[in-house]
Amino acid sequence: MRRKRRHGGDEAEINITPLLDIVFIMLIFFIVTTSFVKEIALDLNRPASEPREEKKTAEVITIRIAANGQVEVGDRMVDIRAVRANVEGELATRGFDTPVVVIADRASDSGLMVRVIDQARMAGADEVSLAAPSR
Amino acid sequence: MTRRHAEKQDDTEVNITPMLDIVFIMLIFFIVTTSFIRETGIDPRRPEAVSAAQKERGNILIGVSAGGQIWMDKRPVELGAVRQMVEQARSESPESTVVIVADERASTGLVIDLMDQVRRGGVLNISVAAQAPAGGG
Repeated sequence: MRRKRRHGGDEAEINITPLLDIVFIMLIFFIVTTSFVKEIALDLNRPASEPREEKKTAEVITIRIAANGQVEVGDRMVDIRAVRANVEGELATRGFDTPVVVIADRASDSGLMVRVIDQARMAGADEVSLAAPSR
Repeated sequence: MTRRHAEKQDDTEVNITPMLDIVFIMLIFFIVTTSFIRETGIDPRRPEAVSAAQKERGNILIGVSAGGQIWMDKRPVELGAVRQMVEQARSESPESTVVIVADERASTGLVIDLMDQVRRGGVLNISVAAQAPAGGG
């Protein structure tokens, strides 16, 4: 090799054909396996099954979702579109760092649950967690 | 063989250097962007949510159909098998997070059971897939 390079740089080329083969195979593999699916999603805080410290109901804003789709903020029954305004009002009276707990019936639609949590987030609640009454 | 071939038509070779450049750049691009998302195999109707954000790392997808069937990795699975599959997926890429793609008519109880199973599987960062509202608000 060394001798060759010394007396003519032209013939001292490295054979890159195997490298090319591997590069092409890798390229095809990555093209085939790549999927550009990106879900948009909502983070959910779920307290552990056995809560360590029981929060008093007075310290949190509770939103209840009944099995038939009725939503209650505190003790008032509200429409799904009014949840945001109601939570905003509760936050303003109790302080803006009051946690919000969504208590959803097991038989209710999960879509409704997601919308309620979304509304509570939009109202400015920092901490929205999901609880379910035990069976 | 190649030697003789090269000697005969030495100066009629095609210059492949630009092609190589492009191939390498494509290779690097695909390596960087690949995230090996395990698709669920179903496309449920997602609920609308304004505050939902795009999940860059959410690469374990669990689908829940309207009838309550759980789908993972393009096949239906039982609720009890979810934990093991999450553990397995997590051992392959430890920083992965779980996105539950639930149909908006699926019951909340099933989604909560699923979240508990995923949590037992060791992934604490769980989110629920949504879609941007159609009407812009």
